[in-house]
Amino acid sequence: MGLKLKQLIVREKTNLEFFASKVVAIDAYNAIYQFLAIIRGPDGSYLSDSNGRVTSHLSGLFYRNIRFLSIGIKPVYVFDGKPPSLKSVEIERRRQIKRDATIKYEKAISQGNLQDARKYAQQTSVMKDTMVEDSKKILSLFGIPYIDAPSEGESTAAHLTKTGQAYATASQDFDSVLFGAKRLVRNFSNSGRRKIPNRNTYIEIVPEIIDYEKTLKELGVTREQIVDIGILIGTDFNPDGFPRIGPKTALKMIKEHSKLEKIPQIQDKLSEVDYEQIRRIFLEPKVAHVSEIKFETINFDAIIKYLVDERSFSFDRVQTSLNRLKKSIERKSQTLEKWFS
Amino acid sequence: MSLVFSAITSGSDDLKAIISAISTLVEEATFVASAEGITFRGMDPSHVALIDISWPNSAFEKYECDSDIKFGVRIDEFSKLIKRAEKKDSIELGISDDNMLLVTIGKNKKYKIRLIESSASDTPLPKIPYDAKIELSSTAFDKILGDVQVVSDYLTMIATESKAEFSGKGDSGEVVIELQKGTDDVQDLSVKQESTGTYSLEYLNPVVKAVGTTTGSIICEYSSAKPLRIEFKVGNIGRIHFYLAPRVES
Repeated sequence: MGLKLKQLIVREKTNLEFFASKVVAIDAYNAIYQFLAIIRGPDGSYLSDSNGRVTSHLSGLFYRNIRFLSIGIKPVYVFDGKPPSLKSVEIERRRQIKRDATIKYEKAISQGNLQDARKYAQQTSVMKDTMVEDSKKILSLFGIPYIDAPSEGESTAAHLTKTGQAYATASQDFDSVLFGAKRLVRNFSNSGRRKIPNRNTYIEIVPEIIDYEKTLKELGVTREQIVDIGILIGTDFNPDGFPRIGPKTALKMIKEHSKLEKIPQIQDKLSEVDYEQIRRIFLEPKVAHVSEIKFETINFDAIIKYLVDERSFSFDRVQTSLNRLKKSIERKSQTLEKWFS
Repeated sequence: MSLVFSAITSGSDDLKAIISAISTLVEEATFVASAEGITFRGMDPSHVALIDISWPNSAFEKYECDSDIKFGVRIDEFSKLIKRAEKKDSIELGISDDNMLLVTIGKNKKYKIRLIESSASDTPLPKIPYDAKIELSSTAFDKILGDVQVVSDYLTMIATESKAEFSGKGDSGEVVIELQKGTDDVQDLSVKQESTGTYSLEYLNPVVKAVGTTTGSIICEYSSAKPLRIEFKVGNIGRIHFYLAPRVES
């Protein structure tokens, strides 16, 4: 999933504190899927409340946003709308992965193999409508704004960076670069360590910024050309890409021939790809236009009530975390920025 | 192309103070050397504090620089080797042909460290009118910070025409330290308007400790609910300006 642009792109390491007092547009589905995959019990089962409803996403959003807010970061969550119809192949591919993983998961459970069970369970994460509703509810209680995108969340998030309403967009996927996000932040999370999937080891993860203009300059390509490179490698809208073309070859081809139509060796395959439509998805995306992003005050009592009374969270843990957040908000120094102008 | 840049200090204290002050805020620092001297400006990642350093050519034993150059270093790496200098050792800074930072300590210790790509963008300075100015010895100020820290994470300063009051309040209790104008404690107190400002010790303490006794006296300037600027003198004519945003009043 996601675009294999990693090796072409200049990534600059940074830290969460750098984003203090900045608005960051977060790809909500991307973040929630991560929580659903990672926040699980040892046998791979979700965290759940006394009614058996999943709470992994709530736990993730709760702790992560406490971290953001205590640093003074201003998160805005952007939720996906209706995916472009070209995405159906990719969506079907993901469904199939989940179906396969579910079968393997059940087998692992029946054999008592917990490690495998957890591994396969992570691949079965499905976002239900109720989870989206839960997520929006907890965000509202934190006073954190969210936006419903008409189409892909990433394109609206990228749009917010172009209008200057957000400093950066946060997602693990590189698609945001094709959508022209001025800055993409990866690893925008509260943990310095991340577990490597399916292994019992951790690697040190730090947030990294991908600057759009710098990337284009470094690669020596235009906005249109980086989209063409994406199409060659494979996007969500043509997941297989082109046979035997990796990131480096794609870059070389585009620099040599300037665009897809002029690369002689791919013309047969190109006729099967709706590349003009894909280009439009990235270059003229359907986005939500937001007049104002408004942050409200945090409703501490309502958060406790919702998480503890309704969703079976531990009162002590929720209260301790919220108290820490209260304290850090109270003691927050202002930044110097307002005296610069 | 060989560029001429050579700056020789007379002892190591000033450079040590400058480097440790910078290290309280950033991990990477970009210096600018010009014919006039060496400057540095940088903010901590959360933009709460800013350091602005001006180290004029006349503060050096010998100084030569024929065109402006920027050089970036990792502060911890730079700091480690500067600490190898004895108090009396002169330190010579230069840039080698292969673009490394040359640091010669005393007569015979020659270090070469790698430079980093300077990512620094131009940091502006806060524009603030200062209503209150308190001058006191760095040792006295350091003691006050220590006294307040016992009960609080914050220092509140109230300056009136006749006295400067430093106070702190925390979960366990509170403290007030009063310095009257015209006593040995306060070297200068000029107040255009009574001013109250509250600032984080988390930022103040390290930088005051870092500069230490290298600076004789310090000058605190601020206005109510506006940033604080502390001036530390370095080597008589050089200076460090430390800016700190005020605490949000809740």
